[in-house]
Amino acid sequence: MQKINRNVVLALLSLTSLVFLLFQLCYYKFYLSQKNGAAFSKVRGSQSGQDSTRWHVVRKFLGLISSHNIPVYLIDPLILGLVDKDIEQIRSSPDGPSPACKYFCAPRDFTTFALLDKTWKHEVGLFRTAEKMGFQWLKIINKDPRLDGMDDLSGMEIPLHYIFKLASHAIHLVVFYERSGNFLWHGPLRLKQHMDRKFVPFRKLHFGRYPGAYEKPELLLVSIDDLKVQIPKNPSSFLQEVSHSRFLECRYREARAFFQLYPDDASLDAVEFRKKAKSLLHLAALTLNNLGVKFWLSSGTCLGWYRQCNVIPHSKDVDLGIFIRDYKADIIPAFQKAGLPLKHKFGKVEDSLELSFQGEDDVKLDIFFFYEEDDHIWNGGTQAKSGKKFKYLFPKFTLCWTEFVELKVHVPCETLQYVEANYGPEWKVPVKTWDWKSSPSNVQDNGVWPVDEWDDVIQIY
Amino acid sequence: MDEWKPNPAVKPHKKRSWYLAWKYKLMNQRALRKLCQTGAVLFLLVTVIVNIKLILDTRRAAYEEEEESAQDYDDEMLNVEVPRHPVNNKKVLDVEVYSSRSKVYVAVDGTTVLEDEAREQGRGIHVIVLNQATGHVMAKRVFDTYSPHEDEAMVLFLNMVARGRILIFTIKDEGSFHLKETAKNVLKSLGSQVAPFLSWRDMWTFVGKKGGEVYGEKHAKSPALSTWGDPVLLKTEVHLTSVEDAECHWPDTELNRRRKRFCSKVEGYGSVCSCKDPTPIEFNPDPLKDNKVFDVPVAVIAGNRPNYLYRMLRSLLSAQGVNPQMITVFIDGYYEEPMDVVELFGLSGIQHTPISIKNARVSQHYKASLTATFNLFPDAKFAVVLEEDLDISVDFFSFLSQSIHLLEEDESLYCISAWNDQGYEHTAEDPSLLYRVETMPGLGWVLRKSLYKDELEPKWPTPEKLWDWDMWMRMPEQRKGRECIIPDISRSYHFGIVGLNMNGYFHEAYFKKHKFNTVPNVQLKNVESLRKDNYETEIHRLLGEAEVLDHSKNPCEDSFVPDTEGRVYVMFIKMEQEADFTTWTQLAKCLHIWDLDVRGNHKGLWRLFRKKNHFLVVGVPASPYSSKKPSSVTPIYMEPPAKEEGAVAVPAVAAAEQT
Repeated sequence: MQKINRNVVLALLSLTSLVFLLFQLCYYKFYLSQKNGAAFSKVRGSQSGQDSTRWHVVRKFLGLISSHNIPVYLIDPLILGLVDKDIEQIRSSPDGPSPACKYFCAPRDFTTFALLDKTWKHEVGLFRTAEKMGFQWLKIINKDPRLDGMDDLSGMEIPLHYIFKLASHAIHLVVFYERSGNFLWHGPLRLKQHMDRKFVPFRKLHFGRYPGAYEKPELLLVSIDDLKVQIPKNPSSFLQEVSHSRFLECRYREARAFFQLYPDDASLDAVEFRKKAKSLLHLAALTLNNLGVKFWLSSGTCLGWYRQCNVIPHSKDVDLGIFIRDYKADIIPAFQKAGLPLKHKFGKVEDSLELSFQGEDDVKLDIFFFYEEDDHIWNGGTQAKSGKKFKYLFPKFTLCWTEFVELKVHVPCETLQYVEANYGPEWKVPVKTWDWKSSPSNVQDNGVWPVDEWDDVIQIY
Repeated sequence: MDEWKPNPAVKPHKKRSWYLAWKYKLMNQRALRKLCQTGAVLFLLVTVIVNIKLILDTRRAAYEEEEESAQDYDDEMLNVEVPRHPVNNKKVLDVEVYSSRSKVYVAVDGTTVLEDEAREQGRGIHVIVLNQATGHVMAKRVFDTYSPHEDEAMVLFLNMVARGRILIFTIKDEGSFHLKETAKNVLKSLGSQVAPFLSWRDMWTFVGKKGGEVYGEKHAKSPALSTWGDPVLLKTEVHLTSVEDAECHWPDTELNRRRKRFCSKVEGYGSVCSCKDPTPIEFNPDPLKDNKVFDVPVAVIAGNRPNYLYRMLRSLLSAQGVNPQMITVFIDGYYEEPMDVVELFGLSGIQHTPISIKNARVSQHYKASLTATFNLFPDAKFAVVLEEDLDISVDFFSFLSQSIHLLEEDESLYCISAWNDQGYEHTAEDPSLLYRVETMPGLGWVLRKSLYKDELEPKWPTPEKLWDWDMWMRMPEQRKGRECIIPDISRSYHFGIVGLNMNGYFHEAYFKKHKFNTVPNVQLKNVESLRKDNYETEIHRLLGEAEVLDHSKNPCEDSFVPDTEGRVYVMFIKMEQEADFTTWTQLAKCLHIWDLDVRGNHKGLWRLFRKKNHFLVVGVPASPYSSKKPSSVTPIYMEPPAKEEGAVAVPAVAAAEQT
C-alpha cells in the first residue's frame, strides 16, 4: 500500500507540475498580449513597419501644427543626437532629399517637440483637427509658477505638456514659458487622479520628470528625412543643457511663513543693499557666464534664496561657489575688467582657494572654490592675520537651476542638506552676528599655512 | 516521466494486473527504482517551487510596471473631488425670506444666500435672482430706495433680468421713501399685490418668477411714522424647471459656449444673455498699422465690481489695436463674478488673496499685479495699467503707439497717461495735442519696467503703511522731477462712482464732465516736441505768439477770453514760489476744473482751452516763463475766501489725498 501511495503521490506531483507549466505558459502569453495592447509592440518581426509608422506619425503631426500656424521645434534627444552627427551636412543642404529614413525612423516610443507658449493662442480648433486626423491627445495643466511669489495670486492653470498618440507612436509636445531672468522654463509632468496612467509609458519620456530651465535657443529650419522641421541651431549644446536642466522653484510659501515670523527689513538701508547685491550678482553672473564658468549661490546668498526668496539685507556680501575643476586663470582679470577689483585672494588652486572682489559701496563678492572628495565636498577658509586654515564640509550635491532676483542661477539641488551643513538645524532663525570661523556648523580647523607660503596664499589688496 | 504515470481511466482489475507486472519488473531493480523515485520527487518539488516563484515574480513585475509607469508623474496634491450638490435632481426649492428693521436674510434649501444685519448698512430693497433650473444665485443687489434715483437703478436691473428667473425681494429698514410709481408698477407687473401700496417703514418679502407665477408675498405695515412694521418671514416652495428650458439655444460655437457658461451663472448684464440677438462678446476692432504697443502687457486692476469690469472690458476690447492675449485682469479677492466676466471675454484673470485693509489693500494689490505682469511677460519693457472703472477710448492704443518711444528714450519721463486732469468738456479741445506735466494722473497709464523693477518695487509701501499707491507715486522721492505725457483730450473716462474713495457728489463734480476722445485714428501732431528740450522750445514759441489777456478783468468771467477761435492767449497769476498755488487753486475753482490739489502743471505753467482758444496760465515769478510777462502786466492774485480758509481748505486737502 505504501508503494502505491508513493506512486500516486508522484503521479499527482507530476500532474501539478504539468498544470503549472501550462498555466505559466498561458500567463506569459497573456502578459505579452497585454503589453502589445498598450500599443507599444516590441515584436521584432514588424521592424520596418514600425519604423515608417514613426515617420508617418511625425509627418502627420507636423502637418497638423503647421495647418494651425503653431511654431514647434524638435527637441527629441535621440533624434537630435543622430542629427548632431551629421549636422554639417544637414546645415549645408537644407533642402536636399535624404536617401533613407535615417532619423525619424529610429526606434523609440516618442518624438519630442517644444512649443513656445507666447507664440500661439490656446485654440481648441487644434485638438478637434487632431482628433479628426486620428490622434488621441492628453493635455497636462498645472498652476502657473510665474504667479508664485510673495503675493498670494491664483490664476488659471496653464498647459505644460501635450501628448498626441497615433497608432504605436506618440508625440510629446513640451510647452516652454519665458521666465524673468531671460530663460525658458518647462513644467513637470504630473498626472491628476482621473488621468489615464497607461496612455503612454510616461517613464520613458525625456522631459517632465522635473521642471527644466533652458536658454532661449536659436532655431534652424532643416529638412531631415524629407520633413521640414525647426531644430536648435546647435544640437550638441542643447543636448548638454538637457542633461543639466533640472529647475527648482523658490519656496515662496515657506518664505511667506518666514516673513510672518520675522517681518522683512523695509528700511532704506535694506532696500539699498538689496539693490546693490542684485546688481552685483547680475554683474558676476554675466562675467562668469561669459567665461563659461559654472557657479552657484553659496553661503548667505543661498540661504537667502532658500529661506526668504530674496537677498538677506544684513548679509552685507554676495557669496558664490565654483568647483575647483572649473577654475580659470581668467576669472580675476575678467572681474577686474568688469569693474570689480580683487580685494583678497586666499589659498591656491591646489588648496583652499577663495577670491573676494570689491563691489560698489562695501558690498563684497566672495567666491569660494569647492574641492570634491569621494564622500564629501569642501571649501577652505583662511584667517589673514594668523594664517590659520579652516575647512567647511558639505555632503555631496548636484546643481539645479533656479530663478533669483530676475536671474537664472545654479543652486545645490540638495539645498536643505547644503544649508543645514552650513548653518545647522536652526537655519530658519535669522542671526545677525555671524563669525565665519566659528559659527558655521561644518567648520573644521585645517592647520596653518607654512609661513614661507604666506605671500602667495594670503594676498590682500 | 510518463512511464510513471498511472492511468486513472483503466478499470480496477485491469489496472491491478498492469500494476503487478510493473511491480514484478521493478522489484528486481529495487535500488535503482528507489533512487529514481527520490530523484523524481525532488525534481517535482523543485519544479513546483520554481514555478510558484516564477509566477509570483512575473505577477509582481507586471503589477509594478503598471503602477510605476506613471508613479513619478503623479500629482502630489490629490485633487479631492468635492461632491457637488445634486441640485439638479431636486424639483422643489425651499425658500425662506426675512425682512425686518435691522436684519434681512434669504435661505434657499437651508443655505443662507443673503444675510445682512450690519448696522447703518444695506438699507433698502435687497433683490436676489435665482436660476430657475439649478437654483443657483445669479445676482444679488441692494437698492437703497430710501434715497433718490436708486429705484431707477432697480427698474433698470429688473428689466435686464431674463424672463423665467426667480426673483426674491426683501426690505431692510426702509425701502419706500423714494420708490416711485414706475418702480412700483414694475414690481406690480412681477405679480406683487403689495408693492403699489408699500409705504414708510413697511416690511415686505416677495418671491416670484419673472413673467410667471408668484410663489409668495408677505407684508407688515408700519403702525406709525416712528416705528417699523413687524418682521416678516416668508416660507415658500419654488418649482424648478429643466435646464433646457432655462437656456437659450444659440449656435454651438466657442464664443457661445463661453456665453452659455456665463449666462447660466450670473444675471444683470442685459443683452449679452438675451436669446435673440445677444450682444457680441468678440469685437474684432481694426488692427493698427505699425502697432508699437501690440506686445505691451495690459494689466487691468479690479475689485469686486463685475458690472464695471464688464463695461470696461467691452470698451477695452473694442479699442483699435488691442491684443487680447496681452490682457490680464487682476482681481483683488476671491470673487467669482468678476472672474466670470473675465472668462466671458476669453481673457485671463488672476485672483489675489487680499492682505491689509482699505487703501493699503489697494496698494498691495497694485504691487502684486504689477510684479505678476512683469513675471508673466518677462520680455516686456512696459506695462499698461488700467482700472476696472474706466472707459477706454477707441484710439487708446493708437495714442500709445505713437508716443511710447518717448518713454523709452527720454529719461526725464515718468509715465504716459491717458488722462488729463484738467481736460473737461469746456477746457479740452485738440485730440492731437499732448502735454508734459509734473503730476502723475494715473487712470490709464504706461509704466516703464525699469522704473518699476529698479525703483518702485523694492521700496513699495509695506502693508502696514496705509498709503495710497498713487499718492505715493506722486511723492517727490519717487517722481524725482520726472514728468508724464498726457493728451489734451483724455483717452480714458472715469465712470466709477461707488469706489473706495468716491461718492456720488464727488464724481458728479469732478469726473462727469470730463472730455473723452471718440475719434478713431487721431494722428498726434507734436510728439517729437515733447522731448525734454524740445518741449521748452515749443513752450517758448507758444508764449512768444500768445496774446496777453486783459489782466484788469476778472479771469473767472467768461468775457476774460475774447470770443475767438484757435488763438493762443496767456495770463499771468501770482505764484511766489514753486509751491505757492493759492491763486491757481482759486482760478481752478472758478473755472470748474480740478482744484483739490495741483494737477497738470509744468514749471509753473498750465495749458488748457477756453472757448476753443489755447489758454496758458503762467505763475509769476516762480515759473521760468515769467520772463515772458510784459513789464506792464501785474500778475493776478486771487485770495481764497477768508471764511473757507480754515473750514474748507483743510478738508479739501484731505479729500485730495483720498483721490
